[in-house]
Amino acid sequence: MSRTAFKAAIDDHVLAELRAIIGDDARVRPDRSSRAFRSRVPAPFPVHRWAEHFPDVVILPRTAVEVSEVVKLANRHGIPIVPRAGGTGLSDGAVPLRGGIMIDCKLMNQIHEIDLVDRTVTVGPGINMLKLNEELKKYGVIYPDDPASYPCSLVGGRIGTGGWSLLGARFGHTRDLVISMEVVLPTGEIVEIAEGGGRKLRKSSTGLTLKQLFTGHQGTLGITTQATLELVPRPETEFAAFFAFDDYMKAYATTGILTKSGLATLAGVVLFDEKKIEYLRRDDEAYIPQPESVRAVVAVAMYGRRCEVEPASKEIMRLGRSNDGKYLGDEISAGDWASRHDRYATPLHGRDLDGQAVLMSWHCEDAALNYSVLPQVREEWHAIVARYRERYGIFDDWGMFAYTSGSHKPWADYLVEIDVGIWEQKLNDENWAAWVSCKREIAQVSLKYGGSITACHGATREGDAELVPEEMGSAWPVVKAIKRALDPNNIMNPGKQSLDEAYE
Amino acid sequence: MGEKELEFAERWRDNAYGCFSSGHKFCREVCPVMQVTRNENHTPTAFHASIVAMEKGLVEVEDVADDFVHCTQCGACELRCPNTLFTGDFYRHRTRTVDVVKAMRALMVETGNEREGWKLWNERLALDHNEPVLGDVRVSQEHVADWADGLDIPVGGETILFVDCEAAFYRTSYTRAFAQLLQRAGVEFGLMREQWCCGGPAAEMGYQDLALKHATHNVQDWRAVGAKRIIAPDPHDFIAFTEDYPKYFPDDYEFEIVLGVELIHDLVQAGKIELTNPVERTVTYHDPCRLNKRKGVHKAPRELIRAIPGITFHDVDRVTQWSYCSGGGGGLPIEKPEITAEISRRRVARAAELEVDTLISACPWSERPLSNAGHEANIGVMDLFELLAISAGIEP
Amino acid sequence: MSIFRLGDQTPPEPRRITDTVIERLEHQFEVDPDLMQITPQQDMPVWDSRRIFNARWDHLDWMHAHFADEVLLAGELSETMPEDHS
Repeated sequence: MSRTAFKAAIDDHVLAELRAIIGDDARVRPDRSSRAFRSRVPAPFPVHRWAEHFPDVVILPRTAVEVSEVVKLANRHGIPIVPRAGGTGLSDGAVPLRGGIMIDCKLMNQIHEIDLVDRTVTVGPGINMLKLNEELKKYGVIYPDDPASYPCSLVGGRIGTGGWSLLGARFGHTRDLVISMEVVLPTGEIVEIAEGGGRKLRKSSTGLTLKQLFTGHQGTLGITTQATLELVPRPETEFAAFFAFDDYMKAYATTGILTKSGLATLAGVVLFDEKKIEYLRRDDEAYIPQPESVRAVVAVAMYGRRCEVEPASKEIMRLGRSNDGKYLGDEISAGDWASRHDRYATPLHGRDLDGQAVLMSWHCEDAALNYSVLPQVREEWHAIVARYRERYGIFDDWGMFAYTSGSHKPWADYLVEIDVGIWEQKLNDENWAAWVSCKREIAQVSLKYGGSITACHGATREGDAELVPEEMGSAWPVVKAIKRALDPNNIMNPGKQSLDEAYE
Repeated sequence: MGEKELEFAERWRDNAYGCFSSGHKFCREVCPVMQVTRNENHTPTAFHASIVAMEKGLVEVEDVADDFVHCTQCGACELRCPNTLFTGDFYRHRTRTVDVVKAMRALMVETGNEREGWKLWNERLALDHNEPVLGDVRVSQEHVADWADGLDIPVGGETILFVDCEAAFYRTSYTRAFAQLLQRAGVEFGLMREQWCCGGPAAEMGYQDLALKHATHNVQDWRAVGAKRIIAPDPHDFIAFTEDYPKYFPDDYEFEIVLGVELIHDLVQAGKIELTNPVERTVTYHDPCRLNKRKGVHKAPRELIRAIPGITFHDVDRVTQWSYCSGGGGGLPIEKPEITAEISRRRVARAAELEVDTLISACPWSERPLSNAGHEANIGVMDLFELLAISAGIEP
Repeated sequence: MSIFRLGDQTPPEPRRITDTVIERLEHQFEVDPDLMQITPQQDMPVWDSRRIFNARWDHLDWMHAHFADEVLLAGELSETMPEDHS
């Protein structure tokens, strides 16, 4: 029997206990609007079943002790806890599946310490990276965690989802940039999770390395209440260059050449496929006027000291052209690269089968794949989406990107995304089921080619979640044992990633 | 769910869905209210979600009424929204959060969910035809031009100077400085016979009929004196005259509307106002939301500050200032004065980091809360026109 | 100085750029209105179109300055366009 918790476990008595813990009724919110507004994230949402995703009550804590006491209460009563930071994730980590208590950490947005000697900044989970970097600029340092949601996502969510950064090839991704953190466990204890030793050490060999366990768990193992982050020198110089190709395979080959160039300031390479270019021609001022011969694009960016970047830029220009690449010009290189820091889709990108512009929600399927399989996966993914688009008329293929994904090692790993538009206003149970099925087929292709379902968003939703045991393979019993040991009552974000199986 | 709610949801549903289906929340960290409360209920995303939720019967007006008070209508959210910033002009379909907030507040009035503070404020507006900006002291038409004592400004003419309620009764030094700058440049202008409130704030708080009544009066007064051109020094009035009035009178609105700061900029450039007196101050500039975010006006004020001899100017760029605000707009200080005060406190603290002695604004509505915060932080708050008048050697 | 006149706020007649894109204001592309039958377009005055366009480029410039002290570019013309598109 599954030991899952139910919404009904919250009653007036529990609310009174929560109010006693928090001591401020404005931060304990069982009202309808507070719950309704914290039900979805940018990922496609079954809006026809919105109310099923309401949390029962929302808590806005200010301290780790408040979080701890609320979690202890939930653990005692078997009430689900759903942590929420920015709610900007592209999977369902922050979407309640079984109601319960939502812990919304946005009030925990303080900068606790800036240490310019040992190069760390310690913050609450509710702070946004852009806002943090506005503060850090005057010290000549930066926290370079740079997702497409850079201006709106929050540090706590980045840790919870194990986020990917546009500049990861140069500076690492979230898990590389978090040095240590304070975590409230599912049983309510407040623990310090580090490499070992003090909270500012980057590497240790003592004991088990717990830090990775607590990044990317999608809120299923605890709630980060404070994090000590890396400070890197603020880049002196940025260089970006975009190259066009008349054929995807030439662009693919050039991506390989650039990522294996050995240039240390290389921050990221992005490969746009033919469908992506077609899609950009709909409404992107950089691509609308391009000639038909522009069928694929490779973007490359570097950050560092001028004395490094300037000579390396010459080599980038040479390599970018080495396989028939054509430079797209300074204006696109600068403008389009700048827009990559906040590149969330806008809904009017969507087109129905007649070509009419309609408001579509964005699904970004974000597999982790090796370089060698990119062309084959691309073909199979587009074929899947085309089939569903044709049959249901509410989906749209927005093309594919492949981004360098190895931290400091750009040569072999890619975050590969196929962007799919979904006309949410047309959703009903049948269409939603079709969507889940489409997603599952896409994820299965990733697994077939030795990839992972997700490089950064998390496998928390229908269509992905049921494939987690398969992807984990022989390690799945270990995963289940850890989950059961840390969360004996399955209260922490239950229903995600097939972790209910830990209790069967 | 009443008929009015359904009608409202129907009217705004598509635009709301543009936000709801994106769910990306780029608005959140630029929203001045959200920066203070950190409560997702107060995000523009939540405002749009509430319309979708209302259409589906999941929330009613009374559930969201308090949420919709939490907005200064600064416009940061709708400008920063990718649906505006990246594709709004392309599709001629941008996010309209300010309009949605105004419409929801109107619905609150219609459905008996109005807020007590706004109700009293607008009752007094209805009575006196100017906003009760002096608190317990009543305002009246008898005193609406007291600020101009001794300046010999005629009534009527082709060019009318419209003076905002806050500027006519409270921040009168601002208005006097502006009028004297025009006189110095030899600009001919007059005042209205009876100058009522522009109606903009009433519309912002949801009192649409009252707003229309005031707009109608003002347009009639302009026509009666043969006005062709209206000078609006206050950005709030400029918004009312270029956005609200054209909606009220779409087929019959012949006036030229001139923004005060741009007019003064032109006059300085043309050498008609000479800035000769040095001003030994270290200043920074506060981009008023209704200039910078709502209208894209940011160059003229900066060029004017740079034209003042002796001044040291520590500027903060206009994009960084999308997330700045005084908290003085949209009726927020009437209903949530503590949030306005905190927004202003943070704005002044930003100025203090630049080691300036003076924060220059260009909007009288911002200057009251900013001055209060500046007093605490020992930073002077001045209006740009006041500063220019000093440099031009104008005696107050 | 920009003087607001209601009569000036209607954009000029469009010129066609591609099958699905038109241009009304200089350097500013717009969707072919025929594609907006399901999602109606708004009455957007000229000043508002320009405001958004200008804000976009200011924002992109700001992003560069946010991440690095200077932007280095190849300083070369586009090899795909007849002349560098600006």
